Amino acid sequence: MYKILLSWRYLRTRFIALASIISVTLGVATLIVVNSVMSGFVSEMRHRLHDILSDIEFDAGLGELSWPEHHQACIHEILGDEIEASTTIVRVPALMTFDFRGRTITQQILLIGIDESTYGRVCEIQPYLSNQHKQQLLNFFLEVDGYDDKIGDCGWGYRREKELYRLEHLSSWGIEAQTRQREQEYAEIATRLANQPLESLTPPTNRQLTVDIPSFELPVRPPNLEELAASGDHLPGASFDSATLQPFDSRSQWRPQPSADELFSPLRDQHTGIILGKAIANRKVVDAESDEVRELFLLRPGDDVRVTLPTAGENPSPIAENCTVVDFYQSNMHEYDSTFAFMSLRRLQQLRGMIDPVTGEGSVSAIQIRMKPGADLDRARDRLIAELQPEYWGFVIQTWQDLQRPLLSAVNMELTILNILLFLIIAVAGFGILATFFMIVVEKTKDIGILKSLGASSRGVMSIFLGYGLALGAVGTGVGIAIGLVFVARINQIAEGIGWLTGRQVFDPTIYYFSKIPTVVDVQMVLLVGLGAVGIAVAASVLPALRAARMHPVEALRYE
Amino acid sequence: MNSSGVRSHVESVPVNVTATNVQNRVPLRVSVPIAMRAVNIHKSYRRHGIEVPVLQGVDLQIVEGQFTAIVGQSGSGKSTLLHLLGTLDRPDKGEIWCDHQRIDNLAPKRRERLRNQTFGMIFQFYHLLPELTTLENVLVPKMIEYSAWQYWRSKKSMVLRAKTLLDRVGLSHRLHHKPNQLSGGEMQRVAIARGLMSQPSILLADEPTGNLDRTNGQLVLESLFALCRDERLTVVMVTHDESIAKQADCRVQLCDGRIVPG
Repeated sequence: MYKILLSWRYLRTRFIALASIISVTLGVATLIVVNSVMSGFVSEMRHRLHDILSDIEFDAGLGELSWPEHHQACIHEILGDEIEASTTIVRVPALMTFDFRGRTITQQILLIGIDESTYGRVCEIQPYLSNQHKQQLLNFFLEVDGYDDKIGDCGWGYRREKELYRLEHLSSWGIEAQTRQREQEYAEIATRLANQPLESLTPPTNRQLTVDIPSFELPVRPPNLEELAASGDHLPGASFDSATLQPFDSRSQWRPQPSADELFSPLRDQHTGIILGKAIANRKVVDAESDEVRELFLLRPGDDVRVTLPTAGENPSPIAENCTVVDFYQSNMHEYDSTFAFMSLRRLQQLRGMIDPVTGEGSVSAIQIRMKPGADLDRARDRLIAELQPEYWGFVIQTWQDLQRPLLSAVNMELTILNILLFLIIAVAGFGILATFFMIVVEKTKDIGILKSLGASSRGVMSIFLGYGLALGAVGTGVGIAIGLVFVARINQIAEGIGWLTGRQVFDPTIYYFSKIPTVVDVQMVLLVGLGAVGIAVAASVLPALRAARMHPVEALRYE
Repeated sequence: MNSSGVRSHVESVPVNVTATNVQNRVPLRVSVPIAMRAVNIHKSYRRHGIEVPVLQGVDLQIVEGQFTAIVGQSGSGKSTLLHLLGTLDRPDKGEIWCDHQRIDNLAPKRRERLRNQTFGMIFQFYHLLPELTTLENVLVPKMIEYSAWQYWRSKKSMVLRAKTLLDRVGLSHRLHHKPNQLSGGEMQRVAIARGLMSQPSILLADEPTGNLDRTNGQLVLESLFALCRDERLTVVMVTHDESIAKQADCRVQLCDGRIVPG
């Protein structure tokens, strides 16, 4: 009983105890704040890395994976219930060129063909698009509205204004009218299109991209001359003469010029839709005067670009395709934002000649798999590898963590080292407690003598000081955890406050791409820090407590 | 073990007038109950490698229910003798007996129990715990004796007893004061109340008046004498004040670690 009473009284009446408590408190609070912020950053980063990578990827590299539906079926069979969804993609490096103020800019991109209907179920792309409508439903149509205000003018309105400006200054459609009637018609339709309300340009209500799969007519064997002669249809006379054979039939002799409605007009039409990583399209410029970072857009949704990409197969040759930027993708992972460009899978397969003319089925570069929440990715990957023997065919099956292993392990190591360093703070606090306790034991020598003369055991005296250490550690840790958690909960306001006080922004959202400081409070981490701090406080009080316990009662009583 | 229990078992020895009770003013009886006995006690301290003998063969019998005064000059070893009797220290040689039991070689646990329950101790410098109030200081021996749970269960009766004891030493109005708010005389009276808390059979006092003025010292002495007289409590008191020693039942004179006929 006296142990509890005295521990408590020493805690309450010693000013020096307050210093020890504060040192433990600060150590614990710092550890919790730094850990939470670091975990926040790491988890945000992992989240973003993961979102676009899917859980597991069956990758054919730059080569082709034919018959993907069969492979998908196999994967579904192997993984069974654990699989959530799978999708196919085509990935190909490409060059993108576009005009910016009369200058041609060329940029390297990684063109990814995605299946709009399934891709969103496997990878998170929609939350990172800047258009609200596309966040709801993924498609490759240019929108009239719904774009992020920060981009400025974009969408159909911007595209049309730009085209009208061009028409006004060039007074031309780019082709010459061959008849007066056509000239009049072109002028009329330009006026009509310019006056057409923007709303009418909204993509079809079902918003499904309908891709017309080209129907190939199998080549018909040309009739040989005997057959021709026998039929006699094509021959003007009874005798057959190659010189009189007409090379063109009558239909192709003269093609009338297309009407205005058939012409491609940027006022009304878009090319193949493409979604660009935001960092491809913009540059960050530091304002010389205000020292602020602002964004300069080289491209906006509504602009046209030209994409040059290799065809698939044995002899790749470059092909070029006009595309219209329909939206921006911003995951805030610079690596992704500065290279990724998305296109409709079917369109990309057509462009690259990846569609089997007989079956109409397209080959792909990779199959991406989303597992059900809580599934063991490594185990699933191992099962796929065991069943599908990918090495034999030169395929790679990897989880997203395998793909980003160097980065993830670097970050994890950083976190570990930081934790060790921070725990040293608490160790320092522990030595503070040790020094403080030795002083308290010396100060309390006479009290120890009194207690022993009244019959207190050495163990009892020892437990007073151990209890004191425990109480000190517990109070310090408790307050530290409370302060740490409050700090974490209010970290953005605190950062703002510090910024206001020092006149320097502590957290610059443009640098980190986070609008707020991300934090994750791990209950296990908090418990571990708390236990560690209390443990260190108790451990630091062991030596002084032993010393107190060993004191000779007579000498302790005589101590002055 | 309470005081009455001790008395019923006190050892009786035949009359054997030794040096220790030459001055005994108790009428000689055929036998006297002996509370404590020290036989040929030697004790020395080591200071800087030199052995300093303090006690050199002390034989002593403390008669139960008597007021024994140990007198001597500073450094004569009287405090050391008291500490040895109170099991705060062990003699280098010799034996100490209390209630048919040799106590100088007991295990630490038994010695702690003796200090807690059989002996009450009072010191020259009061030795109260500064963090605790008057009442709590008096309760400390019981807190040491009982576990936290036992203490909580019997707290009411303990507090009642402590209050009665404090009332007896005239401090019932000072229950919740800290020692630094009390005068020297008051602190010593608190120490007496604490010494009596666990109903000891022997009260060991080390110059309890040494630090007090005459009036306060007399008050403290009177309460000690009253305890001895009214409750037949055995009191052993170390003092260098001859006038106090003269009032005692038995007077033991120490000189250079030996008992000398006073």
